[in-house]
Amino acid sequence: MATTYKTFLNNDITSTKTLLHEAIPLTGALVSGTYGTFPNGGNIKNYAHGMFQSCYDYPYLSSSANHIFDLTVGYSSVSSMSGAGSTQNAKKINMYNQMAQVLVGYDQTGSIRRFDRDGNLAAGGDKLNECIFINFARLLGKDEIKKGSFTLKLGTGSYATANNNLITIQDTNAQNDYRVNSPAGEYGILSCSDGVSGTPSCGLLFYQAGIAVLSGSVFTNADGGGILQGSPVMDTATSQFSQSLLATAISGNCDDFRHRIYDMSFNNTTELNSTIHFCRINHNDYNYSSNPTYLSQSKIVVKNNTQDAPVSYITTVGLYSADNELLAVAKLSEPLKKDPTNEMTVRVRLDY
Amino acid sequence: MAFLDNSGDIILDAVLTDTGRFRLAKGDGSFKIVKFALGDEEINYGSYNKNHPSGSAYYDLEVLQTPILEAFTNNTSTMQTKLISIPRTNLLYLPVMMLSGPAEAQTSGSSYDGNFVVCVNQSTAGDDTNTGILDGNPSTGNGIVQGFLNGYQPGGGSTGGYIRVDQGLDTTEIPPSYTIDADLNETQYIVEMDNRFGTIVTADDAAQAANVSFIDDDNIASYYLSVTTDGNFISNITPNTTLSQISGPRGTKLEFKIQASTDLATSTYLFEQLGNTGYNVTVTDTDRAGVYTNFECYYIDSIIKVTGATTGYTINIPVRYIRVQTKT
Repeated sequence: MATTYKTFLNNDITSTKTLLHEAIPLTGALVSGTYGTFPNGGNIKNYAHGMFQSCYDYPYLSSSANHIFDLTVGYSSVSSMSGAGSTQNAKKINMYNQMAQVLVGYDQTGSIRRFDRDGNLAAGGDKLNECIFINFARLLGKDEIKKGSFTLKLGTGSYATANNNLITIQDTNAQNDYRVNSPAGEYGILSCSDGVSGTPSCGLLFYQAGIAVLSGSVFTNADGGGILQGSPVMDTATSQFSQSLLATAISGNCDDFRHRIYDMSFNNTTELNSTIHFCRINHNDYNYSSNPTYLSQSKIVVKNNTQDAPVSYITTVGLYSADNELLAVAKLSEPLKKDPTNEMTVRVRLDY
Repeated sequence: MAFLDNSGDIILDAVLTDTGRFRLAKGDGSFKIVKFALGDEEINYGSYNKNHPSGSAYYDLEVLQTPILEAFTNNTSTMQTKLISIPRTNLLYLPVMMLSGPAEAQTSGSSYDGNFVVCVNQSTAGDDTNTGILDGNPSTGNGIVQGFLNGYQPGGGSTGGYIRVDQGLDTTEIPPSYTIDADLNETQYIVEMDNRFGTIVTADDAAQAANVSFIDDDNIASYYLSVTTDGNFISNITPNTTLSQISGPRGTKLEFKIQASTDLATSTYLFEQLGNTGYNVTVTDTDRAGVYTNFECYYIDSIIKVTGATTGYTINIPVRYIRVQTKT
């Protein structure tokens, strides 16, 4: 009996899970200056509501542009900066609260928790009341940021020289030490490992959410409650973080922060769930073809006489449902010769 | 689609087809892969050189250098030619499928202008009271216009023709009196056609509709016809008959007509969207056509794909659906 389909047996199909990682390098030049005169780069999108700023990898009016991350700033209503005199006071509080309710949730009274420096919410402790938020686009973050791979270098010295007095912020050893008490998934503690004394914590990195929460302490000296020595500068007015936050709108704070980014990198993670179909082709399978060129007046062109072995060439594997509908197709990069002297197993992996 | 990089290791480029994604999205369990088939649609076996002067190692040199296209996601665009498993290795001939030819032209075969032409409505085909291309009133005793099918009333003594596909060994080296080997005899056919244009019905007067197995996202309907359950469509070809295009031993034949869809019969919308105007048919037999001899028609060109489920052989049948625009 001639046949064209071969049914999979139970041991011909298996499923696996694979974690795929991509390296994502982002240079500071990309987000401040490459596509226009800072701060008005064509790849920077500000909105009329002024609550956040979007960064693209190309002028965003082009269809080639990809959204890479959003920036915003905010502070808690209990922050010393909160007050009628602060620029965009309500919006900055709203942004903080929105991010906090999503990322750290609510306490037992239903009140929004504040970000905690070491993630120990129950013990109270040191709260991050003034923050810079970096929300990575799903295009970059994919399923999650790989733990222990995040690095952000910021200039903290003279504003005119963006990479002056660099500090390095990382989620060091996060693959072995991360928190799970967030409603938005796992998060790690960001710490400064360069340019400061010791490795003080300075923010949180939410891996599945793809959001970095930086404390304002990265632009504040020890006298002001920050982690730096000397006189760190966030903006053109030689202000530290708190002064800048008070005097400038969110879009201005985002511009200033962009200017201080020297580079940033992380690895993302894509969780691939795969089904592997082992197409087992025995010696007496698929040695003939229904290709019209295979025959000349019904005679097989690759044979001279009946004793010659039939031969065919595989270029495509079709996977079918029970009612013969083609559900998936796989193409080989080059033809595979099939004749009665050989057997093979073609492994087709479908990722979901 | 681009070509796959064939400079290094063999890689496999696998994708879900649009039907696969559709079934996956439905979430009703219809996405279940249970079997596989192999294809070789890029291969031209004509470049297999059995007489290469350098020996057998060079016979398939050109075949193996064939560049392979990336996978198509359209389910009907790929796997056009399948590989076949036959345990015997001593076969020298394989069956093919052919449209029946001039010998049976009056009832089926040879087409008009290279197409089978389907008259989709009453005005085009004609009937007892309307003069049309076919003037399908048996009482007049008129013949059948070669290559034309009555898509308006395919049954009930229609004067339209039908489509017949013959299967067998098309060789003069084996006489047709020989019986085709049982394992090469096609017993199941898959017919795929655009469901917006029509459906297939039996070629007899009953014009019984076939059951559609599946209609995909591109409106391609698939019909699975088996000799055991669809004897009105599939039957054995009489051995040694002269009424077949198959020169050697014959297998089975598939016969069907086309019932035009209501959309084509009642509206010109699809003709304007997918077809064209200005197709002229001249009927010289005025007795048949009555007062009209020239018919200017809308038309849509399409194909019907017939695949042997057992042997994998495929033929594409060109079909032109027409609807009269003016007749003079």
